[in-house]
Amino acid sequence: MGGTRVIEVHGEQVRLTLPTTPQLLRVARLTAAGLAGRLGFSFDEIEDVKIAVDELCFALVGARGRPGSLSLLYTLDLGRLVIEGTATYEGAPPEVAPTELSSQILAAVVDEHELSTDGGGLRFRLLKRRTEGG
Amino acid sequence: MALDRADKKALMIVFNDYATTRDSALRDQLIEAHIGLAEYLARRFANRGEPLDDLVQVASLGLVKAVERFDPARGLEFTTFATPTIVGELKRHFRDKGWAVRVPRRVQELHLRITRVIDDLSNELGRSPNVDEIALRAGTTEDEVIEAIDAGSAYRSTSLDAGRSDDDESPGLLGQLGDLDPELARSELRTTLGPLIAALPEREQVMLYLRFYEGLTQSEIAKRLGISQMHVSRLLARSLQQLRELGDPQ
Repeated sequence: MGGTRVIEVHGEQVRLTLPTTPQLLRVARLTAAGLAGRLGFSFDEIEDVKIAVDELCFALVGARGRPGSLSLLYTLDLGRLVIEGTATYEGAPPEVAPTELSSQILAAVVDEHELSTDGGGLRFRLLKRRTEGG
Repeated sequence: MALDRADKKALMIVFNDYATTRDSALRDQLIEAHIGLAEYLARRFANRGEPLDDLVQVASLGLVKAVERFDPARGLEFTTFATPTIVGELKRHFRDKGWAVRVPRRVQELHLRITRVIDDLSNELGRSPNVDEIALRAGTTEDEVIEAIDAGSAYRSTSLDAGRSDDDESPGLLGQLGDLDPELARSELRTTLGPLIAALPEREQVMLYLRFYEGLTQSEIAKRLGISQMHVSRLLARSLQQLRELGDPQ
């Protein structure tokens, strides 16, 4: 195949703020897919990133949404994408208890992931590296 | 598709013969005689974003099943018996393709084209292609590729039971895994993945297991199950969504 047109990045960041409703999570996922694509990730890797974004955003937002806001920070580095999400809530934050299944899913799709409480809210971080030699 | 009385009578004789002999030449003759019915029904599902050729193929498969299952002793007309079978196949095809929600034709076509391109390129390159490569081959832009590969999860209906009734009867799926004993695999799936999993169709259980426990990539799963990578992607996204919703304590 001809040379892959991958953008040169060194820590560039993209920020996105969404209400904490599940209906808008597609925007978070699409942004992640778009950026991963620009970094030269393969179809499989992009799918992995999407699964991870869905999984972690869901932990913050829930099936029916929670009043509050979700800030996402996408950091692009050579061959790697870091996504950090922070949710703040009106009222008490939900309990965060990642299930074994959820951890298993995340471990299978991204290189690093964490989910934690952050003051009055919740936060997550994930890192996905591009496979070299693709 | 107009068979006159004499034709029907002649075919009834063939059906009777086939019922006793199961001779494949007779079966082919019966299929050929009724192919017009399959085409007619396929056309009724045209203009919904699936190529007519594909629909005719799906309908023909339904026809084959109907011919095989038809019991002339029960006194039904073959067309009366076959029509629901064929329509059922067509509906299932649409359900599997996930186009329950209306999407613009252009996006559907692009999605279908890119589905093929991803599978082709994976085979040619021996690895998962990147967006640039997919766009180049599909003759479109990278943005459109991103949009189209997200289409799978975006277009599925989010209704909780969307996936529940989808349990297709293909019995061979766990069997296709070769080295796994289906019963053993099933029980292992449930103990490993938990009780929520039981709510999912078997095929989706298998995919979850292969993806997240066996560590196979989506491309590898697609190859193993003989379906497109986009289809794997869509089913996985749907199962995960369902599991999350079922498991949500809210």
